[in-house]
Amino acid sequence: MDQRTDFLMLDSGCCFGEPRLKDPNYQDFFSFIDVYDLPGHDLSPYKCLVITGLIDQELLYKQKEQIRDFLDGGKVLVFSGNLFLPWLPGASAFVPKEIRNHSDYDVTIAKEHPIFAGVQTYDMTYNKGVAGFFARGHHPLPDGAEVLLTLPGGEPITYIDRNSTKGTILVHSGNDLFGYNHPGKSTGRIALQLTEWARNEYRQLQEPQERGAYA
Amino acid sequence: MRKIAALYGGSSQHFRSLNEPKYRKYYDRLIYLPDLENTSLDEFDALVVPSQLHMGLVMKSREKIKQFAEKGGIVVAFGPQPREWIPGQNWELRPTNFWWWLDKNAKSGLVLQKPDYDLFSYITLADATWHQHGVYWPPEGAEVLISTEDGGAVLYVDKVSTAGTWIVTTLDPDFHFGSYFMPATERFLDGFLPWLAEGNV
Repeated sequence: MDQRTDFLMLDSGCCFGEPRLKDPNYQDFFSFIDVYDLPGHDLSPYKCLVITGLIDQELLYKQKEQIRDFLDGGKVLVFSGNLFLPWLPGASAFVPKEIRNHSDYDVTIAKEHPIFAGVQTYDMTYNKGVAGFFARGHHPLPDGAEVLLTLPGGEPITYIDRNSTKGTILVHSGNDLFGYNHPGKSTGRIALQLTEWARNEYRQLQEPQERGAYA
Repeated sequence: MRKIAALYGGSSQHFRSLNEPKYRKYYDRLIYLPDLENTSLDEFDALVVPSQLHMGLVMKSREKIKQFAEKGGIVVAFGPQPREWIPGQNWELRPTNFWWWLDKNAKSGLVLQKPDYDLFSYITLADATWHQHGVYWPPEGAEVLISTEDGGAVLYVDKVSTAGTWIVTTLDPDFHFGSYFMPATERFLDGFLPWLAEGNV
């Protein structure tokens, strides 16, 4: 299939999401559709569905079967944001962190992982010396989830869930992880590494089926 | 107490800032934005249009919103609103001043133009101070309550373009409160909504 279109990002239609549509960093591998065009849209050409925190979750809740079917086809879904409706298999509603001190926002790597390889936790926690941009709470974990990043109380900021569906779900409780593509800070590595990870994950998810065909 | 409706776009930020109990009590109804076309606004005195709604859907309903104002309604538009749906809307996008407060001798660049306006019995200029995404150049006859130092409107009230009242601001307190970020935005909403409900608009 066309490598250019193997990631599908839902467009929220709001103005903070608009620069994405024209950002050259996304043009190589992202397709965009308006979120209200999701019902009835054929998701089969895509390896990975990308959903950000600006999206209408009421609509996603109405389309939860479509999202589940996509995942059960051995696909990958990356969500960055705060969940408040149960449209994503295995996931729970966002729990905000009670902040008493800026160090309450400190990001810790819970497990070395290719998505965050070479990324400094300081760069995740601080932006121009100010903490709090990366994540301000967490989503309680589904059974068997793999935790990548945590806040100081052990709250999981970022997890991977391979159990709730036949696909793979990555949930991040902060801003769109694909937005971390700016050189000059180590966090700029995240977008590309996440893309590579999603493609590898997709390959591994599809492999057993392919092997099965020749068994 | 005015009867207030708010548009609800379904994002987590909208959900939180509209459903927080201390704010929800001011809203008689939340109207899911895709349902706006088929919802009557006749019973309401004021309509709050939050930040970061789906711009295409807002544009689709701009006539409806304008008609609501023509019947005497109050329309509140939180910023930024880069599409033109507000009568006399003259928006100038500027780079967001996220970091002004890190500078030595920090100045936010905001000027209180009408300190006697009733809104400022409910909020202070500090409660409206975080950052701006741009300015408006409102129609003649509109009252600029908060501006930048060069006179661009950060918050204005327009009672001349329609029979109703437009309260238009570049500020986006609802988005930041809904994102669990920036305490001033909460103080803004704590004062703004009671003013909208019962104050001298």
